[in-house]
Amino acid sequence: MIELLTAIEESALSVFIREWPSVFGFPTILFLHTLGLAMVAGVSIAIDLWILRGATAGAPLRLLGLTRTMWLGFGINLLSGLALLLAYPAKALTNSVFYLKMALVLLGVYVAVRINREIAARDGVGPVLAASLDLRRWAVVSLAIWAAATVTGRLLAYTYNVLFAYELS
Amino acid sequence: MMRDLIHWLTHTPVNTLVMDYRWTWPTAESLHFCALALMVGTVGTFDLRLLGLGKGIAPATLHYSIRFGVAGFFVSVVTGLMFIFGQPDQYFYNNAFKVKVVCLALLGLNVCAFYALEARQVLKLSPGDDAPLRAKVFAVISLTLLVAIMCAGRMLTFYRP
Repeated sequence: MIELLTAIEESALSVFIREWPSVFGFPTILFLHTLGLAMVAGVSIAIDLWILRGATAGAPLRLLGLTRTMWLGFGINLLSGLALLLAYPAKALTNSVFYLKMALVLLGVYVAVRINREIAARDGVGPVLAASLDLRRWAVVSLAIWAAATVTGRLLAYTYNVLFAYELS
Repeated sequence: MMRDLIHWLTHTPVNTLVMDYRWTWPTAESLHFCALALMVGTVGTFDLRLLGLGKGIAPATLHYSIRFGVAGFFVSVVTGLMFIFGQPDQYFYNNAFKVKVVCLALLGLNVCAFYALEARQVLKLSPGDDAPLRAKVFAVISLTLLVAIMCAGRMLTFYRP
């Protein structure tokens, strides 16, 4: 395990991400990770609140564009998250909060997909959507998951045990 | 003048609360980020609707959620002030912080102008309707400023004095 983490840390890409002395390096990756969070969680929160408001029926494909924004945000988060992980693998992989965050993010994406499918299945049905208690429950679950994922993500900066692999030996 | 202000801020009970208790800062940061997601999510999604995304939703329906975004904004302000009380010198001499404050002020002006000039017309739109060009301009400005605020906020650490 230590050998693997050390090998990742000493790879050219990891060193480049960590040590490139430019505002377009590590700081920009962190910003992109925040932007991705705002796009995924933000749009998801807005859709959840729309559902809790009653989700009045409208034209078909009512969410088209917003779901694409969410997926674009997820893509940005995934790539920037991978870059952050490559930069400090030991810091993340030895922290249990990191795994909790990953689980919450995956759960959040699953719930978002489920909500979108449910809305798509009801497209054009009309007032039925407003009466869907099941959908409202999912919306509440989704809000709770994104809040928890955001908190755990933030707490990563305060709960890590080691920064580099050599500290483990 | 600035030194006096910093001296005063660092001798307040809020400074003690933020700096002397281990979990105050992380808790405030977590709240700051949740509030940010709430604000950017609700306001940003409304802006995206004005730009033609999620057109099947009436803008008025999405506009309802903005009150939660406003609540998020106030939580952000309170937690942001806690950071300033905690380490004022890290903010007052930080260029990223100055950019963030300017962008926040511009966002406020944009919101005021939107409500004064365009909101009434936009909130009458039905699902599927296209927003007027002027509303789209307000939306582009709003989204740009929201992204700039997030960017400047993230850069605070890297522009510390």
